Amino acid sequence: MSTIAETASRSRSCRRGGVDGWRWAGRIFLVFMLLYTALPMVWMLITSIKSGFAAMQFPPQWWPDEPTLASYQKLLDPQNSVGQDFLRFFWNSLFVSTATTILSVIVAVPAAYAFSRFRFPGRNFLFFTVLLRNMFPAVIFLVPLFILMRMLGLVNTHGSLILTYLTFGLPLAIWLLKGFYDNIPVQLEQAARIDGATRFQAFILIVMPLSTPGIIATAIYSFIGAWNEYIYAYTFLSKNEQLTLPVGIQRFFSENTTDFPGLMAASFMMSVPVVVLFLVLQRYFVRALTEGAVKH
Amino acid sequence: MTIVTGKTGARQELRPARWSLLLQKIWEHRADYAYVLPAIVVMLIVIAYPIYYTVELSFFNTPPGLQLRDKIFIGFDNYTAILTSQVFWKVTWNTLVWTLASTFISFALGFAAALALHRDFVGRGVLRAILIIPWVISAVAASYIWKWIYHSDFGIIGAVLVGLGLTDRPPNFIDSVSTVLPSLIVVNIWREFPFAMIMMMAGLQTVPDQLLRAAKVDGANAWQRFWHVTFPHLRDVSTVTILLLAVANFNSFIIPWIMTGGGPSNASHIWITHIYELAFGRQRWGVASAYSVLLFLFMMTLGYFYVRALSGNERKEANS
Amino acid sequence: MAHVVLKDLIKTYGSFKAVNNVSLTVNDGEFVALVGPSGCGKTTTLNLIAGLIPITSGDIFIGDRVVNGLDPKDRDIAMVFQNYALYPQKSVYMNLAFPLQMRKLPRDEIDKKVREAAKVLDMTQLLERKPRELSGGQQQRVALGRALVRDPAVFLMDEPLSNLDAKLRVQMRSEIKRFHQDLKATIVYVTHDQLEAVTMADRMAVMNGGFLQQYDSPAQVFAHPANMFVASFVGSPAMSLIPLEVSTANGGTVLTSAEGWSLPLSQLNARKVLGATTRKIVLGARHSTIKLHKSAAPGAIPAKAYTVEPTGDVTFVQAFLSGAIVNISVSPNIAVTPDEHIWLEFDQERIHLFDGETEMALQAD
Repeated sequence: MSTIAETASRSRSCRRGGVDGWRWAGRIFLVFMLLYTALPMVWMLITSIKSGFAAMQFPPQWWPDEPTLASYQKLLDPQNSVGQDFLRFFWNSLFVSTATTILSVIVAVPAAYAFSRFRFPGRNFLFFTVLLRNMFPAVIFLVPLFILMRMLGLVNTHGSLILTYLTFGLPLAIWLLKGFYDNIPVQLEQAARIDGATRFQAFILIVMPLSTPGIIATAIYSFIGAWNEYIYAYTFLSKNEQLTLPVGIQRFFSENTTDFPGLMAASFMMSVPVVVLFLVLQRYFVRALTEGAVKH
Repeated sequence: MTIVTGKTGARQELRPARWSLLLQKIWEHRADYAYVLPAIVVMLIVIAYPIYYTVELSFFNTPPGLQLRDKIFIGFDNYTAILTSQVFWKVTWNTLVWTLASTFISFALGFAAALALHRDFVGRGVLRAILIIPWVISAVAASYIWKWIYHSDFGIIGAVLVGLGLTDRPPNFIDSVSTVLPSLIVVNIWREFPFAMIMMMAGLQTVPDQLLRAAKVDGANAWQRFWHVTFPHLRDVSTVTILLLAVANFNSFIIPWIMTGGGPSNASHIWITHIYELAFGRQRWGVASAYSVLLFLFMMTLGYFYVRALSGNERKEANS
Repeated sequence: MAHVVLKDLIKTYGSFKAVNNVSLTVNDGEFVALVGPSGCGKTTTLNLIAGLIPITSGDIFIGDRVVNGLDPKDRDIAMVFQNYALYPQKSVYMNLAFPLQMRKLPRDEIDKKVREAAKVLDMTQLLERKPRELSGGQQQRVALGRALVRDPAVFLMDEPLSNLDAKLRVQMRSEIKRFHQDLKATIVYVTHDQLEAVTMADRMAVMNGGFLQQYDSPAQVFAHPANMFVASFVGSPAMSLIPLEVSTANGGTVLTSAEGWSLPLSQLNARKVLGATTRKIVLGARHSTIKLHKSAAPGAIPAKAYTVEPTGDVTFVQAFLSGAIVNISVSPNIAVTPDEHIWLEFDQERIHLFDGETEMALQAD
């Protein structure tokens, strides 16, 4: 009896030692990752509250002697030409991203539903064609799309961007949402139809609410993708009043190469909307990935 | 029995009429296509036409300024020009290093972070949120942040190294041929490991507890449980994640373009930045198109595995 | 309530015929079970009645209406699903109210009907819960309630009990039967469990391979199975089916086994056998009709016990005869041990005879 208890307790303590080892390794690793992730962002924030002069010092001021919000004031001041530009870029980005997001959801939801539910001929072929879009780098399409947009008269319009961005988001959106619809029992819709709903009502009243996390995740993904996109905006737009934030900032600071506090403040301001959006909705995103993409 | 004869009889009857059956099926399902039509139309405009056009253009010598009426057919000359040029092989090597290093290190860091975050502890949610932020931040912003961090005169890393007495003067991270590519890869990983982390976190949630408990009862230690239960269970997710990362890295443009523009002396040019420069910088549309076609062929090969990984689950379902 | 008529119903998927020429009538207020092994076409038939899938050919009548092309919502039916199909985002109350809302009933009437149904099913205190907060039995009850509130012409039930544990299943079985008796409802009930069909249904339709094999009252199906499939499917343990051959000996008709023994037939049974198109005959006997002797007895056939399963009030003995497994039930006070020699006596009045080629039951003209 006693020997059994002894070996049991020994092996338990031994195992605990092992688990502790892994746990400590995990903690140290997480601290390292935290530093790697956060320090650049912290340095961005610190730099953004320095004066141009204070930023250009060696060794650097770890914390500015005279913190100032001058860079932010300049960017957000509609009287100032810098502020005018920045606010316009911001607005352009917001418009393009929102339009892209709404259209993505409108196009992706029925397509994903059809790929999940219906067994029409060519279904697999079409589905994988849609997925393949992700395989191609933006640059491959850049020249022909530029020519196409010129034909359609869309160069220097936000329409050209919205149309293009739509196709970035669609493959992942359709794939994610299809996974969602696959997991919703078809009997729910059948029950609704027997209970007196039309096919469309069954979809709107029963299926749509159940796929809300997927739709939210899809929307976030499209929005962030559109907000951050650079290469098409850089190629398709040339008029200053049309630029979106990434291109606008780049163009602006290629003319003011040493205003690092301004650049950091602009980078920060550009990141705020998407980071906030993502942090608020991230649990939907992880859930959508779990249910839509990973678990089948 | 009558059942058997009935069945085989029907099959023989229907076999010769397969084509009309398909047409009939398409007709029966005509309403279903309405759902996918918008997606397909958008895809056709933005994929099919550009692919066709790129292939066509790759066989022509094109004048600058996109006056494409004046293009001249030159057969495979663009392709031979590319494959015999020095730059091509240099850029290809860079692309390989960039893609492989970024992909595997991002995946390893992301997977490890997902594992470390899988256990519940105080502040887990906050930590997870912070680790995800770089993925959400625009690559343009990230490029500028790191460009400032790497700055050869006022960069913080250089200052720390000097402060610690490791070097006499701040190193030229992105102005030197030997360090530029690794430096950019660090930035890229910074932005991409969170994606791997999210995917693997989602995957970890699907590992059945029962299996882990069974393994524990069978006497497996933490490492054995990971290796024999968790890891095999995550194989599909891992494949998809690695493929998505590889594709994204292969196609990345912003970080090298903004931080170095491919320099110094092509040391940080990868395929995409190089193609962009050929097309929009030097206006050699034909050559750029030929490059794109080569890239396209390469991606198709990769795409085959991608589709297979994505459809893996579906096939399993169909078999069961 | 209404009657349901299926006429020459066919459903094909490509070249596969899932439902093959099925015709049957469900009378007003009748409880009919569609029963058969998985893949036999019973659920497809139910979905055709519900209008969830289009029919290939044939006609479906509900009441006096042809409903072939009608949407499910216009057929005046209610359905209970195997996985209950409760709307997970809606409370029990809203689940029950949904069919009424879809029919645009006034709010106070909906409330009245929902509370009434909840009271009948004894779940008034559950109304505000979400489906995932309910036990399997409770979910089942909500699903029934959702079918009940609307007072439809026909109830369709697709294996509603198969996700419940054994004890609950027995309880719900009697509840559904009670429900049928109280409402005088027309019910079409799909199940793979012949016991459910036998215990609950007024008539059962046995299906296999898309064909309707037999449609009759459980007692009739049990006593006079139309063919070997029905004979082996209905009853537990299954009817023993022993392949034999006809011959004549001493002026009488006998069934002989390759093992050497033979079984003389009564005059009636001899007439049945002689009407067959082949000499191959399958002898069927239910476990309770076979008498087990511990020593040789006149007319009894020698065999060897293979397994012995006491269940308390009856003991099942399995033996091999002519290569087939034979089930015999004996009183528990008869002790049989495996590998013991036993003698089996068949009751001429209660054996079944099947044509060995067509597998159909043999009749005495």
